[in-house]
Amino acid sequence: MRWLDWYGDGSLHVLEIGLACCSLELDAAAHAASAAATSLPGTLPPDARVVVVVSGTVTDRLAPSVVAMVDACATLTGAAPVVVALGACASSGGPYWDSYAVTKGVDALLEVDVYVPGCPPPPAALAAVLDELRVAA
Amino acid sequence: MTGVRCAPEDWVGTTRDAVARGYGFFEWLGAVDEIGRAGAPGDVLRVVLVLRDPASPGAPTLRLTTELPRDGPRLDSLGHVFAGARWHEREVAEMFGVVFVGGDPRRLLLGAEFEGTPMRKDEVLAARAATPWPGAKEPGETAASPSRRRMAPPGAPDPTVWGDRDPADSPAPAEEVAASAVGGRARRRRP
Amino acid sequence: MTAGPAGPGPGGTGAAETGAGHGSIRLVEERCTSCMVCARECPSWCITIDSHTEPVTDLPAGSRERTQNVLDRFEIDWSLCMYCGICVDECPFDALAWEPGHTDAAVSAVVLQHGIEELRGR
Repeated sequence: MRWLDWYGDGSLHVLEIGLACCSLELDAAAHAASAAATSLPGTLPPDARVVVVVSGTVTDRLAPSVVAMVDACATLTGAAPVVVALGACASSGGPYWDSYAVTKGVDALLEVDVYVPGCPPPPAALAAVLDELRVAA
Repeated sequence: MTGVRCAPEDWVGTTRDAVARGYGFFEWLGAVDEIGRAGAPGDVLRVVLVLRDPASPGAPTLRLTTELPRDGPRLDSLGHVFAGARWHEREVAEMFGVVFVGGDPRRLLLGAEFEGTPMRKDEVLAARAATPWPGAKEPGETAASPSRRRMAPPGAPDPTVWGDRDPADSPAPAEEVAASAVGGRARRRRP
Repeated sequence: MTAGPAGPGPGGTGAAETGAGHGSIRLVEERCTSCMVCARECPSWCITIDSHTEPVTDLPAGSRERTQNVLDRFEIDWSLCMYCGICVDECPFDALAWEPGHTDAAVSAVVLQHGIEELRGR
C-alpha cells in the first residue's frame, strides 16, 4: 500500500493497493507522472481529490483488508474516494475468476467508479484515467 | 534428478540419510494427487521432497518420494531436520489434507473459515461447475439444447457426477469426479 | 498482421502507437462462421457467441439443401479478457486479429462487454 501525490503538486492523491502484477504498471505510470510517494497524511483539505487504485488480484483472504483501507481513506477525507479497478483481476477476477481463493472483482466488496481492462493495462491507460479525474468536476 | 522412494514410516530416516550424504539444502516439499493417473501406484497422495547438495551446486537434485493413502494421510514432519520444511508442510496440509505429525498445525495461505482441500483432483472448482460455459453451444445455436451430447469445459464435471446428481444416489466416488472433469464431449452414463 | 517496430517507447506504450501493439482484439465479422472454436478455447470464458442456421439460397438447380451458420451475437467481456491471444491464434478463418489501440476504460463492467459493432476495430 502506498500513498502517492500523483502529479507532485497536491492536485490528486492516489492510494495504491498493490496486490499483483498491475502494481508494476502503476509504478511505470507513477514514474512518468513524477509522482511522489509520501507518508499517509494526517489530514487532507476537504476538496482534496483522492483515488484508490486496486492493482491486482483480490484474494478472499485479503478482501477484508482492502475494504478496511478504503474505509480508512473515506474517514480521512470525509467522503468516499474514487475507486479504480486496474486490470482484469481487480475488475472481475480476471483469469482467476474460477479460483477457490479469489474475489471475483473488487466490486464484489465496494463500489468501483472506473474499470481499466487489460492484463495488465499499459501504464498510459491508467495515466489517462487519472488525468481525467484530476480535472473532473 | 535422482529419485529415492521410501515407505511413509521411513520418511524422516531416509531424509536424514540423504542429509548425511551431503544433500543438506532443502529446496521444496510438495504433494501430488495421483488419483486416476495411468501408471500411478494406485489412488495415493505422493509427497515429494527435493534436496540439493550445496557443495555441488550444479549437480542433479535429489528427489525423495513417499505415497500416502488418500483416506487419512499422515506423515512425520521434517521440521526437526529442516526448519524451513514447516511452511511447505503447512501448505501441503491445507491443500491436500495431509496431517504432519509433530508439524505446525496452522494454515498458511487459506483463511480459517475455508472448507475443503483444493489441490485434490476430486475437488471441483465450484465457479466453473456453476457458470454456464459459452462454449457449450454448438455452431448455429443460440441456446444450448439440453438433449444433445454437449461439449464440457475442462474443470467442470458432468452434472450427473457432481452438482445435479440425484440426491437419492450416494455421492460419486472420488475417481469418478476427478476423471469427469477433463472436458470434451459429455459421456452419457447409464444409471 | 501489422508489422512495425516492437517494444515500448519512453511513455511505455510506444508499441501501441507504432502499430505493433497487442492493445485489443477486433472481429472481422464477414469471416466468422460461428464455429465456436474461440469461445471454447478462451481460458477466461470471456467470448459469447449466438448464431442460427439458414438455408443456403443460390444453389444450382437440383442440389441438395444446405444450411449455413449466421452470426447473431459476438461479445467479448473485456473485464475478464487476459489478452492471451489464444482466440486470435485458434480461429480457423482469421476472423479475429490484434488491434494496436488499447481497450478504453469504462465506468461500469457492463460497458466493457463489447459486441460486433464495438469489436469492428478502428
